[in-house]
Amino acid sequence: MSEKNQNVGVYICYCGGNISDHVDVEEVRNRVEKMPGVALARTEMFMCSDPGQEMIIEDLKSGKIDRVVVASCAPSLHETTFRDAINRAGSNPFIYEHANIREQVSWVHHGDTATDKASVLIASATAKAKQLKPLDPIRVEAKKHTTIIGGGIAGIKAALDIAQTGIDVTLVEKSPILGGQLNNLDRLAPSGEKASEVLQELLDQVLNHKGITIHTDCKIQDVTGYVGNFSLDIVTKSDNKKLTIDTGAIVMATGSVSYMPFEGEYGFGRHEQVITLKDLIPILKENKSAGSVLKVNGKTIKNMVMIHCVGSRQIPGIHQPKENGQLNEYCSRTCCAAMLNVSNQIRENFPETGIYEMYRDIRTYGRGQEELYNQASKNKVIFMRYEADAQPEIIPSPKPDYPLQVKIKDSLTFNEEMEIPADLVVLATGIEPDDVSGLASMLKLPIGTDKFLLEVHPKLRPVEFPITGVFLAGTCQAPMDTGEACNAAGAAAVKASALLSKGYIELDPFVAEVDTDKCQGHGACVEACLKEGALELIEVNIEGKIHKKARVTAALCLGCGACAAVCPEKAIDINGWALKQYEDMVDAIVSDGFTV
Amino acid sequence: MSPQAKKEQNKILILATETCAYPGADSVGQAHSTYPANTYILRVRAPVLFPESFYIDCFKKGISGIIVMSCGEECPYEGAYKALAKRLDSVYKKMKKMEIDIKRLRLTAICTVCNRAFLNEVKQMDQLIREIGPPQLMV
Repeated sequence: MSEKNQNVGVYICYCGGNISDHVDVEEVRNRVEKMPGVALARTEMFMCSDPGQEMIIEDLKSGKIDRVVVASCAPSLHETTFRDAINRAGSNPFIYEHANIREQVSWVHHGDTATDKASVLIASATAKAKQLKPLDPIRVEAKKHTTIIGGGIAGIKAALDIAQTGIDVTLVEKSPILGGQLNNLDRLAPSGEKASEVLQELLDQVLNHKGITIHTDCKIQDVTGYVGNFSLDIVTKSDNKKLTIDTGAIVMATGSVSYMPFEGEYGFGRHEQVITLKDLIPILKENKSAGSVLKVNGKTIKNMVMIHCVGSRQIPGIHQPKENGQLNEYCSRTCCAAMLNVSNQIRENFPETGIYEMYRDIRTYGRGQEELYNQASKNKVIFMRYEADAQPEIIPSPKPDYPLQVKIKDSLTFNEEMEIPADLVVLATGIEPDDVSGLASMLKLPIGTDKFLLEVHPKLRPVEFPITGVFLAGTCQAPMDTGEACNAAGAAAVKASALLSKGYIELDPFVAEVDTDKCQGHGACVEACLKEGALELIEVNIEGKIHKKARVTAALCLGCGACAAVCPEKAIDINGWALKQYEDMVDAIVSDGFTV
Repeated sequence: MSPQAKKEQNKILILATETCAYPGADSVGQAHSTYPANTYILRVRAPVLFPESFYIDCFKKGISGIIVMSCGEECPYEGAYKALAKRLDSVYKKMKKMEIDIKRLRLTAICTVCNRAFLNEVKQMDQLIREIGPPQLMV
């Protein structure tokens, strides 16, 4: 793998004292420049500054070095900076290795130990750098087309945003209509606009956009291929018509469902007066009745109780898990604002209907949401707080005026036991992801312990999957309100558009590579491979004899290294993250850099 | 290396995933929380890369303890964590056969902001290897 006579240039940063206050940078340089393979070692106040980068560029251009190690802050901050500098020098950016001597040395260790550890980490990085070879990005032709799976608000928004960049879109929806959960909503919290109007505005654009093709009432049977060249087999449910979609990228916008309470949970299923918020909203939407008191199904609601956190923030040992053992331990985020929104509407339109909100915590986290809470207080909604292990109890009312009575230990009044008569009990049921396990399995998409689809990183890569070319948006990822789902959809759309805009894609070269001379065709790597199709055994004719050899499809390879671990001949490894490189790094660490 | 450098006998190797545990270690640094300096963090894409022999060889080379800091069940490579856990089971079996204390190898999940968990893992491993010293194995 390595080339002979590597000349490693090592550049050590002072970071304006952040490193040099604890690490004797010049002493480190003295030690490092004596290490085998190190052609030169330099120091600089800020390596990321123009003079720092210029130093690397000049050394590369003059031919003094052909490998670069920068010892500075965390690689997440400046790895790209230094790779770009190497690129500007006309060298291959993958001859670079980073030594993290700020976050992992000077900020956590002090004195001689910090200087010693910095030296060893640089020795270890140098050992790896010596094994690095120039790599070329993998270029894959890409179809300028995206498929959105799921026709809810996130899917619709993503489809529009992508189509507006000139990339064709196919929108696939399993139900007969577009709009998803927005079809079940009325006034959206906190701004109060009608969900139907927001939806209609977007639908008008989607339905009239020439670049968007829509397939409703269908399901996905199979997904094959890789970034730029996916293929989806879909079938319509009504007439069993089959269709294949060739596409460059996929956006998962498969949405969510509302938690279904089990029979007896807060009296649900046992008392007809116990309903979910999802049930109440369409009743309010259709309610044209005038008067100062709310009527539901013809019955006058003098008093109603709203119970928060049903099917959310569940605690092991307290809440009853589902048959599959699942507990929704997360907060569904949107229910507090939705409940307050509905309470305000009712109190403002039907002032003789009294409302009690029974909550664990009020979480009005977003812009404009706290105002909903303040407004509810002004509207004389009565708040009561219960603890998770003392949930409100719903029983038939002993008084003839009301069908139900809700018993609660109110922690706002020092656990005073209250009995609230109620004509209606409304449960704020949480958000659960729609079951897309089949699709996730086809695409090898990770699913979190909470059953939502899992992005690569919640902050750094929030709308991407580790499968390049597959993105996610909306409530398939986590509970979100309409605005947040649209934000996520916009982000996924930009990612997908940027990926496909050139018509080809350059992928990171950190994928498996087979040394065909060493490969004996055992197939252990193929068996261990986590991504179907990324590795296969092919027959090769060598001097008249047929041999089996492993072959990597680079565009499919995840670069995880599961294959490298199982090859008895060590004939397969990951470019840029090779096992041999790690072995050499360990040797450097063990020897404190003496025998690098 | 200059003679001033002191050779640390008890070394802990940390294999930290680039999406979770490695930024987690950086987060500890950003908080300026100190921990023993005999820790050497290698950034890895997925620890499933390492064969059983890698771990055994590390102990043979003189590494006193290894902490595999993975992303746990939240691993971005579908199936990799399961394969890793299975692999480490085999490593433990080998360690037992070779009479290497299995506590020297620890699998844990560290997130990008799991500062306390990171410090705790390092502290525990450091205490252990200070008690039992480096493994005595023939290379």
